[in-house]
Amino acid sequence: MRLVCGLLGVLMFTGVWSPAADIEIVKPGGDKYLFDLSGLSAGAVAGSEFKQTLSRDLELSGWFKAGGVTTASVLVKGAVEVSGGTLMATCMVRRRDGHSYLNRVFSGKPDKSRVLAHVVADAIVKAVTGKPGIASTRIVMVGSRGGTKDLYVCDADGGNLLQITHDKKPCLFPKWSADARGIVYTSYVGGFPDVYHIDLVSGRRRRIAAFPGLNAGADVSPDGREIVLTLSKDGNPDVYTMNLRTRRIKRVTRTQHAAEASPTWSPDGRRIVYVSDRSGSPQLYVVSRDGGRGQRISFHGSENVSPDWGPDGRIVCSSRRNGRYQLVLYTVQPQAELQITGEYVDHETPSWAPDGRHILFTKTQNYRSDLYVLDTKGDPQIRLTRLQGDWYSGAWSTR
Amino acid sequence: MFRFIRWMAMSLCLMICLLAVSGCGVTRRGKPDAGFEDDLLSVEGVDQLAGDYALAGRFGEDNRITDVQFPPVAFQYDSFQIAGSETAKITSVAEYMRRNADIRLVIEGHCDERGSREYNLSLGEHRALAVRAYLIGLGIEGSRIQTRSYGEEMPVDARHSPDAYRTNRRGEFALYR
Repeated sequence: MRLVCGLLGVLMFTGVWSPAADIEIVKPGGDKYLFDLSGLSAGAVAGSEFKQTLSRDLELSGWFKAGGVTTASVLVKGAVEVSGGTLMATCMVRRRDGHSYLNRVFSGKPDKSRVLAHVVADAIVKAVTGKPGIASTRIVMVGSRGGTKDLYVCDADGGNLLQITHDKKPCLFPKWSADARGIVYTSYVGGFPDVYHIDLVSGRRRRIAAFPGLNAGADVSPDGREIVLTLSKDGNPDVYTMNLRTRRIKRVTRTQHAAEASPTWSPDGRRIVYVSDRSGSPQLYVVSRDGGRGQRISFHGSENVSPDWGPDGRIVCSSRRNGRYQLVLYTVQPQAELQITGEYVDHETPSWAPDGRHILFTKTQNYRSDLYVLDTKGDPQIRLTRLQGDWYSGAWSTR
Repeated sequence: MFRFIRWMAMSLCLMICLLAVSGCGVTRRGKPDAGFEDDLLSVEGVDQLAGDYALAGRFGEDNRITDVQFPPVAFQYDSFQIAGSETAKITSVAEYMRRNADIRLVIEGHCDERGSREYNLSLGEHRALAVRAYLIGLGIEGSRIQTRSYGEEMPVDARHSPDAYRTNRRGEFALYR
């Protein structure tokens, strides 16, 4: 089972998300496929929710824009209906010239029309563009409401928000497991900062790292076998890897007078990017998974923190420039950087979507935090959280 | 009949696989890494594989001493250096621990809200470890002192002013018996 997941992961990285030379540059608002859903009949209540969700999902993919029946180049026809206790979506997706992209019947539960719409949206995105969709992915975050902090999960479009812990204790840095079935995070539920794993399917929570001192910032390796995390048990915060089956740990960094934080795996699982203040300020370093001396990759900005290594090899991080945190992309080879935000507010804890195009981040202004989605190809930012409270440390699921 | 036996065997294999994946059947291959340095905390009895939330090998909140309190150690912004003006606070804790041999201590490191949460968690730990090292230097056994970083999660003063930040950058002493 694990092996299959691992293989799938490898296929995803080598197959779908290989450095795609064919990705055309899409300008904001332009060069998108115009779609039309008027040929999709939806009678039931579930049907209209399905259609609304599908339309928004297609736009959120970044590749589509709603058009009229006379202007659209992608025409979706068919029917959404409840039949025999099943929600059925018959979808024929054609290009204006008649070329067929997709002709399939999708089925789901009548009370889960949003879920089915996400599946159909991803199938359409894949069939038309050849690229992976993100409609079925999910987002985990910390919500601080009324002074208490807990973990919440929502769909990629911000809907279906669910509270998954009720501890009222500080919780930090949630990340998804490689199979997107579970979450690892840091919690004080046992009195100390320890790392826990929550299986979202069974609802079971296990403590997986509880060494003396700090246990924090765990990130699951792409093959799902290991986590990389920060431990202070040997006298100062350093980066370690832990095999999830044997629970054996291995030290990756060894700095006596510096603090390490935020370790994150490269997509191939061979390297780790992390934050160290050994130069006097928090900066990004890259090290082999087997350890050694980290190579510094960030040289601009008084701080470079919270890195996330994207599926296409670009590292996004939060970089303090002119007094505010901005999002910056780094590539390791060749070494390059690109600032992608400029608004005079704080942009923190970025997390790549599995499509390698969208980035989730926390925007903080006037001491209020909300999650936003940024499109690296230039579409406007989208605010994801709208409820009262502070919403931050969002992480996009791995699939 | 053969078909039935084969079906049973396959089901059994599948169940074992599922158990292994779900983590219910985790078997321990050798002991978890226990490479703790001598002056660090005693980890005897700590079972990293325990699925419960008990503080195995750590001090329980039940034994917290609340009638004796020491003022927190203050820190400069983005620093874990112990200022000369703060050492007297640590010395008085050391004297108390020397007089009361059964007392154990958790040093809680805190930061102000500036900087990233991840970095602040490590910085808070560094602050707690610096106070711990100072106490060890004064002759207190390392096995009696643990650390707990709260980063920026537990401010004393929730405002966003320099005064609040100064109050929030601290190392607190939590005593246990």
